[in-house]
Amino acid sequence: MNASLLKARSLVKRYGGFAAVDGFELDVVPGEIHSIIGPNGAGKSTVFNLITGLAKANAGSIEFAGRDITGHAPHDIARSGIICGFQVPSVLPRLTVLESVVFGILARRRRYSQLWFLHRRRLEVEARGILEEVGLDTQRDVESRHLSHGDQRTLEIAMALSCDPKLLMLDEPTAGMSSFETQRITRLLQQVSRERQLSILLIEHDMQVVFGISDRVTVMHMGANFALGSPAEISAKEEVRAIYLGGGG
Amino acid sequence: MSHILLVLLASLSTASTLFLVASGITLLFGALRVVNIAHGSFVMYGAYILASAAAAYGGEGWQLWVAILAVPLIVGVLGSGMEISVMRRTYGKEHLSQLLATFAMFYIFADLALILWGGSYKSVPVPQGLGGSVVIADLAFPVYSLFVIGVTIAVAVALAALLRFTQFGWQIRAAVEDPELLAVTGVHVRRLGTIVFGLAAGLAGLAGVLIAPVQTIAPGLDASVLVAGFIVAVVGGLGSISGAAVGALVIGLGETLGALWVPALESVMIYVLMIAMLSIRPSGLLGRS
Amino acid sequence: MNAPVEAVTEPSGAAKSSTLGPILRGLVRHRTLAALVVVSIVCTAYGLNGDATALITLDNALILVLFSVATNLLLGYGGMASFGQACFFGLGAYLVALGWANLHAPFWLMLVAAPAVGALVATAVGAVALRLQQWFFSLVTLAFSQLFYTIVEKAYVITQGDNGVFGPMIPRALTEPITGFEFVLGVTAICLVLLLAVVRSPFGLTLTAIRDNRRRVQTLGINVYRHQVLAFAISGAFCSVAGALFTVPNQAAYPQLFDWNQSGLPVIASVLGGVFLFEGPVLGAFILQYGRDLLIQHTSHWQLAFGLLLLAIVLLAPDGLLGAAYRLIGRSARRFLSSGVWRRAGWR
Repeated sequence: MNASLLKARSLVKRYGGFAAVDGFELDVVPGEIHSIIGPNGAGKSTVFNLITGLAKANAGSIEFAGRDITGHAPHDIARSGIICGFQVPSVLPRLTVLESVVFGILARRRRYSQLWFLHRRRLEVEARGILEEVGLDTQRDVESRHLSHGDQRTLEIAMALSCDPKLLMLDEPTAGMSSFETQRITRLLQQVSRERQLSILLIEHDMQVVFGISDRVTVMHMGANFALGSPAEISAKEEVRAIYLGGGG
Repeated sequence: MSHILLVLLASLSTASTLFLVASGITLLFGALRVVNIAHGSFVMYGAYILASAAAAYGGEGWQLWVAILAVPLIVGVLGSGMEISVMRRTYGKEHLSQLLATFAMFYIFADLALILWGGSYKSVPVPQGLGGSVVIADLAFPVYSLFVIGVTIAVAVALAALLRFTQFGWQIRAAVEDPELLAVTGVHVRRLGTIVFGLAAGLAGLAGVLIAPVQTIAPGLDASVLVAGFIVAVVGGLGSISGAAVGALVIGLGETLGALWVPALESVMIYVLMIAMLSIRPSGLLGRS
Repeated sequence: MNAPVEAVTEPSGAAKSSTLGPILRGLVRHRTLAALVVVSIVCTAYGLNGDATALITLDNALILVLFSVATNLLLGYGGMASFGQACFFGLGAYLVALGWANLHAPFWLMLVAAPAVGALVATAVGAVALRLQQWFFSLVTLAFSQLFYTIVEKAYVITQGDNGVFGPMIPRALTEPITGFEFVLGVTAICLVLLLAVVRSPFGLTLTAIRDNRRRVQTLGINVYRHQVLAFAISGAFCSVAGALFTVPNQAAYPQLFDWNQSGLPVIASVLGGVFLFEGPVLGAFILQYGRDLLIQHTSHWQLAFGLLLLAIVLLAPDGLLGAAYRLIGRSARRFLSSGVWRRAGWR
C-alpha cells in the first residue's frame, strides 16, 4: 500500500459530554478520490473541521505528507496543501470570478500582503487558465454573489486549484444541486483528479455521487469507523444500508 | 489580619456591582449576539434618576426606598423601548450596523443626560438605615457594603433560578446555544429579544442604583462603567453568567489589592488585567476557546 | 446559468456624445482621485481667500479628514470598528508637544517620528485587541482609548496632566495662517494618496476579503490575525500624523485628545459619508466639522443632533450620504456605474 498522504489516528472531539468523533481513523493515499459517508450525526462535519483546523481535537493525531498537523491553525494547514470547500459554497461575494482566482494565486505566492500596486496581467493569464479548466472563463467578470449555486461551487473549486493543493477536501459538494449540476461537478472532480494527480477527500451524503467517482469509501457511524472498502464492496454490505435506515450500529 | 477582611469586603462590594453590569452584557451577547455600547448609559441613568428622586423627596424616608425599587424597572422599560425602536431594525443587517446603532444610542443618551441633569456632579445619600457600620468581632463593616453584597447575591440566585427553572430561562439558554433552531420551534423570538434587553437594562439600572451613594454621578460615568463591565465579562469569559461572577471577583480583588500594593497603578489596574487576560487566554477564565 | 454582467458600454441618457462618454467613464473609474483633486482645488481656492479663523476651521476639517480616512481603513475596508484610534491621534499631538516642551526637538523630527511611533504602538495595541472578534474588539479599543487618556492625565510629571501642553510648538513659518494651511493640506493630500495606494494594493484586497469571508481567507492559507494587526499598524501611523498636524492650527495638546469622544469622531464622519467608499469619510469629516461649528453657535447639544443623524444613517442609509448620492445618480446611468461604484477595493 502506498504511504498515506493524509493519516488520521484515534481522533476524538467532544462537545460538552457528547463525543461527536470517537476514535476515528482515516487514510487517504495520493491520487485517490476518497469519500467519507455516514448517516446524519455520524460526525462527518466534525471530522472535516478537525482536518481543516477549524476545530481542535481532544485526542488523536493527524498527519499530512509526513508532517504532523494536529492542532495547527487553519492557515497553516492550508499552506501545507489541504484546501477545502464548504457545504455552503464559501466565496468572496464582491470579487468577480476572475478576481477570486487571482486572489487564490496571490495567496499561494504569498504576495497578498504587498502594499504597493501589483501589475496583474500575468496573474490573470494564469487565472484564466484555471477558469478554462473548470469551465467558468465566460463568466469571469461576474461578481461571485451573482453566480448560480452550482457555479459558486465550481468557483470554490477553481479557487482551491489556484492554491495548487495536494489534497482537495469538499464537504457535501453536491448538496442542493440539480442532477445536471451534480453531474457537472462530479465530472469536473474526476477530470481534475486525473489531470493534476490531485487527491480528493469528499464528505458526502449522496450515495450516487460517492459510488460513481470514489476509489475508496470510509463509512462513519456514531463518531467512529464502521466500514472501509471500494464502492462495490460498501454498497453490497447490508449493515451499511441498515445504519442509514435504522440508526442501530 | 483584620485589615485584610475589610479589604475583602470592599472588593466584594465592588465586585458585586461589576457583576450586575457584566451579567447584563453577557446576557445580551449570549442570547441576542448583541454588544450594547449603551449599556453603561443604563447604569448611569439608574444613578441619575435615583439622584433626582433623592433631590425631590429628600434623602430619607420611604420615598427613597420606593425609588430604589422602581428605578431598575424604569431603566428596564427604557431598555425594552430601545430594543423595540432601534435594535429591531438592525437584526437583518450587517453586524457593523448593530454596533454602530448602539454607539449612536450611547451618544444620544449621553447628550440627553446633559439636557436632563446638566453637567454638574450629583450625589445620593446612603439610604436611612444603611449608613454606618456594623461591628462584628471588633471590626467595623460598613452596612452599605453588606447591603450591596446581599442584594447582588439575591439577584444572582434569582437570575440563576430564572435561567434554570423557568420556561423563559430555557428559551434564553436555547437562544444562546442555537438561535436559528429556536426560531424554528415557534418561540416568539422577537418578544424574547425585547424581554432580554429589558432584563439586561434592569440589571444595569440596579447597578446604577447601588453605586449611586458611593460614586460621583457625572458625565463620563457611562463610559467608565461600560469599560469596567466589559473588561469583567472578558476576563471571566464571554457568554457565561458564572464567568461574569468569576470575572467580577477577579477584577474586584485585583483593583482593591492593586490599589494597596502599587498605588501608582490604581487607576489603570483594570486595564492591566484586561491586557494580561487577552494576551494569555482570550476566551477568558471560564470561556470556551 | 446567469448571463454575465455586460461589459461597460456607452451610457444611455444625457451623455451621448462620443467624447463625453469616455471622459465620464474615466471619471468614474478614477472617481476617488478625481474627488480628491477637486476637493484640494476647492480648499486651496477657499483657503487662499479666507481669514485666519476660517483657515483654522478648514485646517481642523482637513485633519479630521485624514483621521477619518485612516480610521475607515479598518472600519469600512477591514470590517473592524475601532473606537480607539484617538490613542494614536493623541500620540501624534503629544509627540510634537512634548518634543518641544521636554526635549526641545525640532518639529520636523517629531512629524517624521509620529507615523513610526504610531505604527509601533498600534502594533502593540492591535496585537492585544485583535485577539477577540468583532464587537469585543471594538470594546477593547474603547478601553485602550480610556487607558491612554488615564495614563496621560496621571503622568503629570511628563505630560503636564490635565493642564495640557500649550505654546509655540511649531516652526514660526507655520504659524502664519496661509502657510500653515498649505502645509496641512499638502501633508493630508500626500497621506490620502498613500492610503489610496494601500487600499488598491493586494494588501487592501486581502483586507476586504477578510471582511467579507474570514474563514475562506484563512483556509486559503492566509494568516488573518497578522494581516489585521498590520492594517491596524498602518491606520495607527496615519492617525498619528493627523494628531501631529493638529498642533499646527491649534498649538496645543491635551488629554482629551485620547478619550472616547475623540475616538468617536472619525467613526461618525466615516459612517456619515459612507464607509464603503474611500472618499466617503472625506465628505463626512467636512459635514461633521462644519456642522458641529454651525450647531455650536445655536445650541450646545450638537452631540445629540449628530447622534440622531448617525442613527438615521445606520438604519436607513447604511452606505452613507455619499453612497446614497452615488446610488441616486446611478439610477439614471445604471449600466455605466454597475461595474464601477459598487466594487470595494477594486483593481483599477
